[in-house]
Amino acid sequence: MVTYLVRRSLLMIPTLLGITLMVFMLLALAPGGIGASMQAAGGQGNTTGIAQQQAYLEDRYGLSEPVIVQYGKWLSSISPIKFGTRDLRMLSGERVSVPRPIPEPSLPQVFPPPAMPSVVFTPSTDESQIAEFKGLQRDAEGARRSYVGSVRLFRDALADVARAVGAPLVGRLDGKGGAKPNDFSDVLIVLDAAQATAQKDATPKRVEQLALARAKLFAAAKTMDTNWALAEETRQRATTAFLAGPYPKSGFPIIPNLVSLDTSDFGVAFSKNRPVWDLIIEALPVTLLINLIAFPISYLIAVPTGVIASVRRGSWFDTLTGVLYLSLYSIPTVLAGVFAIGFLANNQYLGLFPVSGLHDTTADTMAFLPSTNAAGIWKSGWLLDLVWHIALPVLCLTYGSFAILSKQTRASMLDNLSADYVRTAKAKGVARNDVVVRHVFRNSLLPLITMFVGIFPAMLGGSVVVERIFSVPGMGSLILDAISNNDRDLILADTLMIAAVNVFALLLADILYAVADPRVSYE
Amino acid sequence: MKNGFGFKDFVFFVLLLGIALSMWLLMVQRDRQWVLLQRVDDRLLELEKRIQQIRVAPVAAASAATNSNAAVNSAAPSDNAWARPGVKVEQWKAPTAATDPAKIPGYAMGGEFTELFEAQPAKLTPYISSDVYSTRVNDRVFENLGTFDPRTLKMVGQLADGWQIDPDGLWIRAHINPLAHFSDGHPVTSEDVRYTYIDFINNPLIEAERTRSTQDNLKDVKVIDDHTVEFIFKEPLFTNILIAFGDPILPKHYYGTFEPSQINQSTGMMMGSGQFRLEKLPKNADDLKNQWTPGQDVVLVRNEQYWAQPAPLASMRFRTIKDDLGRLVAYRNGEGSMMLPTSPQFNKIMKEEPEFEKTNYALTWTNMRCGYSFIAWQCGPRAGKGLTPFADKRVRRAMTMLLDREKMIRDIWDGIGIVSKGPVNPESPGSDPSVAPLPFDFEKAKALLAEAGWKDRDGDGILENEKGDKFTFEYTYATGGEISERIARFVKDSFGKAGIVMTTRPVDWSRYQELLKLRDFDAITMGWGNNAPESDPRQIWHSESIKEGGDNFTQWNSPECDALIEKGRRAMNEAERMQVWRQFEACVAEDQAYTFIRVAPWLRFVKRDFGNVNTYKTGLEPQEFFRVSAVPVKN
Repeated sequence: MVTYLVRRSLLMIPTLLGITLMVFMLLALAPGGIGASMQAAGGQGNTTGIAQQQAYLEDRYGLSEPVIVQYGKWLSSISPIKFGTRDLRMLSGERVSVPRPIPEPSLPQVFPPPAMPSVVFTPSTDESQIAEFKGLQRDAEGARRSYVGSVRLFRDALADVARAVGAPLVGRLDGKGGAKPNDFSDVLIVLDAAQATAQKDATPKRVEQLALARAKLFAAAKTMDTNWALAEETRQRATTAFLAGPYPKSGFPIIPNLVSLDTSDFGVAFSKNRPVWDLIIEALPVTLLINLIAFPISYLIAVPTGVIASVRRGSWFDTLTGVLYLSLYSIPTVLAGVFAIGFLANNQYLGLFPVSGLHDTTADTMAFLPSTNAAGIWKSGWLLDLVWHIALPVLCLTYGSFAILSKQTRASMLDNLSADYVRTAKAKGVARNDVVVRHVFRNSLLPLITMFVGIFPAMLGGSVVVERIFSVPGMGSLILDAISNNDRDLILADTLMIAAVNVFALLLADILYAVADPRVSYE
Repeated sequence: MKNGFGFKDFVFFVLLLGIALSMWLLMVQRDRQWVLLQRVDDRLLELEKRIQQIRVAPVAAASAATNSNAAVNSAAPSDNAWARPGVKVEQWKAPTAATDPAKIPGYAMGGEFTELFEAQPAKLTPYISSDVYSTRVNDRVFENLGTFDPRTLKMVGQLADGWQIDPDGLWIRAHINPLAHFSDGHPVTSEDVRYTYIDFINNPLIEAERTRSTQDNLKDVKVIDDHTVEFIFKEPLFTNILIAFGDPILPKHYYGTFEPSQINQSTGMMMGSGQFRLEKLPKNADDLKNQWTPGQDVVLVRNEQYWAQPAPLASMRFRTIKDDLGRLVAYRNGEGSMMLPTSPQFNKIMKEEPEFEKTNYALTWTNMRCGYSFIAWQCGPRAGKGLTPFADKRVRRAMTMLLDREKMIRDIWDGIGIVSKGPVNPESPGSDPSVAPLPFDFEKAKALLAEAGWKDRDGDGILENEKGDKFTFEYTYATGGEISERIARFVKDSFGKAGIVMTTRPVDWSRYQELLKLRDFDAITMGWGNNAPESDPRQIWHSESIKEGGDNFTQWNSPECDALIEKGRRAMNEAERMQVWRQFEACVAEDQAYTFIRVAPWLRFVKRDFGNVNTYKTGLEPQEFFRVSAVPVKN
């Protein structure tokens, strides 16, 4: 058994990796690619400003890197085993990483960058250390921002040159009219030639146009190089200050300076600009609450009716529940939700339930349990208020599962009712109820176990439709938002979590089989 | 493995679960009591503080009285010692309600106003949040140096009681009203203004990138004295005025206590000087758990210490209901006081329920926040390849004249909306009311097309040019809306009648951005939003913005219009600038790079339980509402 469990647990790791890799690739293939939603806002600000803003955001979330590199970085950030320099942890619990390396300027072979600045810097060690580090951090981020922006402007200038020169440069522009610097290593040679031809042909307009593009390119290259030197210098300072350790180190070392253990970091959801983990922690309890109420209800109703229906097979009860459950099953949740709101909640019709929210606005001041106040008026109290508010979503979640559960119970009960051991039990005079409950029902539980573990992933995933209709801020709405915004980190964390729960649920099912059925053994 | 799980074990297990559940419920109940106690405690503390302030005030007044001889000369209200000499000073009084609620019959203090949102704001912290819903909440809690007058749309002082604008546009000096203070009693000073701009928005560690990128032109914010501040700019642009006066001022003593990473991850850090304050506000870095999170209602309570006229309402609540039907039902059940109906909802109720307006205001009006929808024509080469027929101005004008936009609004939007005539909001002083949109004129359009070479040469009912190419084009629209499908059908029919073949290409919205960037379309339909009476037209209309990243995706290039844009951007004088915008409007209307379709008005349902509900050019001003109700309300 133990060997089996260990083997199964180890097999989970490649399964989960495969799932996340597939989701990641799908994300990258989606129209617009990862982070498309970030580029949506337009119409304000000036062109260069927007280009720089985009460049900066891409740099910040690492979107400009190849997909496989992004995936690797994501894996290393969620992995509890970390390599390289350990993060620091501020007293407030936030993690501080070592300043990221600055990418080299574009086209170093054409526009040689200045020599790598070497900074000799001794960070202070007294109480001003933290303040100094904060200042350096801010400078480094600011310098990096201007550098990344100026790289984008340099690429624009290259594209301008290409358009001014025409063939052969213009053919190398990508679909969006942008330039990949590495394709332009001969830009100056081609530009010189073009200018010479234009001089010779005496076309003053073209001469002027080329000269303008050339001047712009050189200016952009110069800005880029200066910004690079500045960014590199501030980064070195900030790194030195970081290594001096203004805060305590985070995590637990295994091999000093190489491998350490630390908590997983699920990243920041860029569509909401918040840590993914915070978002999940907010949404999960809501979904769990509703599902923890919904699932017991559906089991408590469906399983007994299934048992009774099988015992009285062919009776009016069997037919009635069968018809009723199947017709409920065939009502789509969307429709049921709309009807529930339109009739059950609408004051113009029945107005029995509230439309939205988990609590009344005055819930904070309510007593917990139902009570009567001094004037003898009955007050529902906090608990009933909650039940009243979640009644409609719970209703929508439960009604559809009656059919499957009760039919499944009925079918497996019938299988067992006609078995030999039941006939033997009846023959030796065991009471009818004992036969049904102790013999048949217990043996019919096996298929229900399979179905039971299936509800765990559903519990965490939440119901997209129900949550949307009833404005429930649970996991379903979170996932829907994440997908529509193509929000990389949020989608990955969601899928990883649901996949993990799925895998564990399957394992749990196997263990439960062994418990429930002595014939099953994993030795 | 022995199977020993019997009925008794089951009962035992259920009992155990029951005990665990009741333990948990007990703890929940405990927590609720604790939270309530905490709140009472907080309120007591605040009361104590306020009593202390009241005690201090008479002493200060008394000491001021003894020094009055010395103070009179320097502290007179019309004193402009802070100003730069030789430049005109504009003076402002403390902000007042546009319509004084106290003069309306039925006026009362107190009551709660609930606005229903269509989507969930992800966070409320100003500058970090970017959606329109958080802005609506922020507008109640924060104040800027200046604001748009609801009736005239002129920039008037809010926190500032005076300012000077450099005629050359390179600096702006503002003086903060000495009475102004934040909701915790700290005065608003020039240090707070500097903090907001330099240490908050332009701090690269704080994720205010969206605002930051609009402030590239800001060079520095200088503190002149306690209440005087000077903005220095790199280039003389009219947007400098919007930068200096249009952004909410944050208290340094509050935001400065948090780490940038804490601000970035915060959801509800809102402390300002406005008429309302957030009920659940983290006090300091140790109190971050006490914060609003998405999914809860946003509750604002009246800022009792507001430095000018306080709001009549005791509190405002913002609740999100994403489902359209759910929102309407919730509103009608009384769970909301204001909602935004969809146009079909609005029309259905107005048609079928004459009684509705007795208990509700059904408002529809155009204001400065209304955007417009349009069809954009590809004026340049499509995706860098061949030219489309729309490169010719006459064809574009003909296309507009072929489209009966009034009928469109009648048929598709049930008559809600007005025909748009250009890129400038019709309520803005930058729009010329005497200019009308191009008329619907089938014959004239045919004549224009013929002039451009498009005639039916082979008698098959389809137009051809001289080479014999048929006039066909592709119309791109976003999937997922009944309205956009209906527009596509209407447009197809209209052009079909004139002998133009239109094919449709529905694409997903996420692909839209890419198509726009690639300039890969013949005609595409979209809308632009608005949130101020004027915005910089350069990003959409200037030929410089044809390049990568620019929003001039029609690749429309008009040197005349470019010149107007440059002139308007550099005109610091408002009247002069508005004149330029009018010329610019005419210039765009002449060339018809877009066929402007419709200005979408605002639709609102508001319960008649509230008084002083007025529609303004800025939208609605809920801080002026009051609750008219015989029912005693919690003040």
